[in-house]
Amino acid sequence: MDSEDDMLDAESVDDFYSGDTATDSDNDDGADYEFMGNDSDDSDDIAVSRQQKNYTVLEEAEIRRHQEDDITTVSTVLSIPEVAASILLRHYHWSVSNVHEAWFADEDRVRKDVGLLEKPVVEYSNARELRELTCGICFETYPLDRINTAACGHPFCSACWTGYISTSINDGPGCLMLRCPDPSCGAAVGQDMVNMLASDEDKEKYSRYLLRSYIEDNRKTKWCPAPGCEYAVEFVVGSGSYDVTCLCSYGFCWNCTEEAHRPVDCGTVAKWILKNSAESENMNWILANSKPCPKCKRPIEKNQGCMHITCTPPCKFEFCWLCLGAWLDHGERTGGFYACNRYEAAKQEGVYDEAERRREMAKNSLERYTHYYERWATNQSSRQKALADLQQMQNVHLEKLSDKQSQPESQLKFIIEAWLQIVECRRVLKWTYAYGFYLPEHEQAKRQFFEYLQGEAEAGLERLHQCAEKDLQTYLSADGPSNDFNDFRTKLAGLTSVTRNYFENLVRALENGLSDVNSQGACSKTTSSNSVGGGSKGKGGRGRGAPRSGGPSRNSDDSSGWSCDQCTYLNVGSPTECQMCHQRRQNT
Amino acid sequence: MQASRARLFKEYKEVQREKVVDPDIQLVCDDSNIFKWTALIKGPSETPYEGGVFQLAFSVPEQYPLQPPQVRFLTKIFHPNVHFKTGEICLDILKNAWSPAWTLQSVCRAIIALMAHPEPDSPLNCDSGNLLRSGDIRGFQSMARMYTRLAAMPKKG
Ligand SMILES: [Zn+2]
Ligand SMILES: [Zn+2]
Ligand SMILES: [Zn+2]
Ligand SMILES: [Zn+2]
Ligand SMILES: [Zn+2]
Ligand SMILES: [Zn+2]
Ligand SMILES: [Zn+2]
Repeated sequence: MDSEDDMLDAESVDDFYSGDTATDSDNDDGADYEFMGNDSDDSDDIAVSRQQKNYTVLEEAEIRRHQEDDITTVSTVLSIPEVAASILLRHYHWSVSNVHEAWFADEDRVRKDVGLLEKPVVEYSNARELRELTCGICFETYPLDRINTAACGHPFCSACWTGYISTSINDGPGCLMLRCPDPSCGAAVGQDMVNMLASDEDKEKYSRYLLRSYIEDNRKTKWCPAPGCEYAVEFVVGSGSYDVTCLCSYGFCWNCTEEAHRPVDCGTVAKWILKNSAESENMNWILANSKPCPKCKRPIEKNQGCMHITCTPPCKFEFCWLCLGAWLDHGERTGGFYACNRYEAAKQEGVYDEAERRREMAKNSLERYTHYYERWATNQSSRQKALADLQQMQNVHLEKLSDKQSQPESQLKFIIEAWLQIVECRRVLKWTYAYGFYLPEHEQAKRQFFEYLQGEAEAGLERLHQCAEKDLQTYLSADGPSNDFNDFRTKLAGLTSVTRNYFENLVRALENGLSDVNSQGACSKTTSSNSVGGGSKGKGGRGRGAPRSGGPSRNSDDSSGWSCDQCTYLNVGSPTECQMCHQRRQNT
Repeated sequence: MQASRARLFKEYKEVQREKVVDPDIQLVCDDSNIFKWTALIKGPSETPYEGGVFQLAFSVPEQYPLQPPQVRFLTKIFHPNVHFKTGEICLDILKNAWSPAWTLQSVCRAIIALMAHPEPDSPLNCDSGNLLRSGDIRGFQSMARMYTRLAAMPKKG
């Protein structure tokens, strides 16, 4: 998420807030609180690029145009027919420069390899042959107008050509390399002959193979791997991040074509996916979408995106989907806020017996894997849900909300921004669990710093998700315009930017391999045993993660900190305004 | 179906005429089914198959000649590219390198060429392939000659 500056538009931020303090833009701590991509009027375009573009998404018409342009170039430069240029390009993986290089180095050799003959190898001179010829496949004799030949001159009748070409096309993309049927002859058979002799259906298939070849055999292009998506991506290799967002909104890694997985590298993703398929038989129970309510034991299905679950009446017990602990315990007092990320958390509080039991069992590697897998999968499905919610929001709720609250839809973009952020965060968070799984156990300092960052990010995300999901309901179901709608706007927009900030820190730190951690790990002055960042193992003398930078830091002295009313961030050393959202400190 | 029958009939007539031209190959069409053929080929000279006569069975598909015929040895033969039990032949022109311009006659010629020039790197008969690959030419030749004598030569007396 390096350079999104070009996507930002400070003026439209002002539109949202009309001078609200939360947009105070002269903060100098380097964090950017602006909103991404809101200079676009296209509110239903959910594919907001967050990077400098080092790729282009191509739709079919553009692919064809690129392909035709390349063919024309080669045809012009080499003074050969376009059909020959197409055959050459196909042979050289659609690299114009490679074709030129090879051709000018040794034209004769290239012609021979590819099968582009300059003159026929068979000539007809006697009187009978000038009238009729025998087809080399059916051995029947035909008048010349029913005989066709490639550049070599080997005669075959139209019907046999049609059968020959059709057999090859139905055998697969090898038809793009078709040669004369004569076994001794290597003359290329190009699209001109296909168009002249094949059925309409076969012509269409051939043309699709040709288009596919332009993407698939080319080093610079790949198809979008999303099911049913027909866009391709052209990528400038060697230009930073591999993350690509297709016009269909699917984000994937150009390098390995798995779903976008920053901040985790391709190797880790491959290992993780392999691991998952190996473990999947053991994992069935995790995939089940229901868990028993910890109080009344009735099965509860998680149908909302956030982890805060409320059991159905009459029980109404509120609990955390991940640890099945009471939601009440997920407050500031426990140091958990909204977070429930660390399977080694909470020993110091002694509240989460369940979590503690799990931690002990984590010596068992399956249990350990289960911990990470479950959270990975939960975030995955939360992301799917959030994507669906986002669509729903765009297609249905936004209009309704606009009516209810008498707000123009253009002023409700902050809600879409929030949901876009949630979707992106769920994706990042999901992959941090694969990251955590492979982070060596013995790198204590790194582990703790990692869990600290992850906890911050997750807590921020849960707050944002709650606000976008549950708080919004109030305004959706209101009878008329709500007085505090602007407060809601400020809160949600503030949470969106704070959460983005958390996640950027997280991604940066993980991509650096947590290099900010003092590897000696002995320093404990920046974390407290009770804070989210603590992650203490409860064993004396063990070193703790000591974040030098790159993450929001917290002081050990709880008494000097204060929790922000707006975003709940626990501030230290900043007595007047919240370090995260710049909300003024309320007198307590 | 009609096209393949017509083409096979052309080959049949050609074979009748060529009998004298290629004395090493004798192609015979089944009396009742033009899609079934057998061939007798002579083992090429200066090979362990010299002096033997080998019988091939052809099964021609309806898409012939766009699809290749299926051919196998009916006579037992010790050869790296022929399955010792089934007689199946590993030859590129019978698979992906097939061209509809090939005929049953030219397939026979290609098989004779394969007998003279085995491809030990794609063996269907591993024992035979291993002998050749390990450089034991004499071992390979004596095995091949023994089977030629046992299976491909008319019994005397
Ligand atoms: Zn023909
Ligand atoms: Zn030719
Ligand atoms: Zn796509
Ligand atoms: Zn990747
Ligand atoms: Zn309950
Ligand atoms: Zn929890
Ligand atoms: Zn705040």
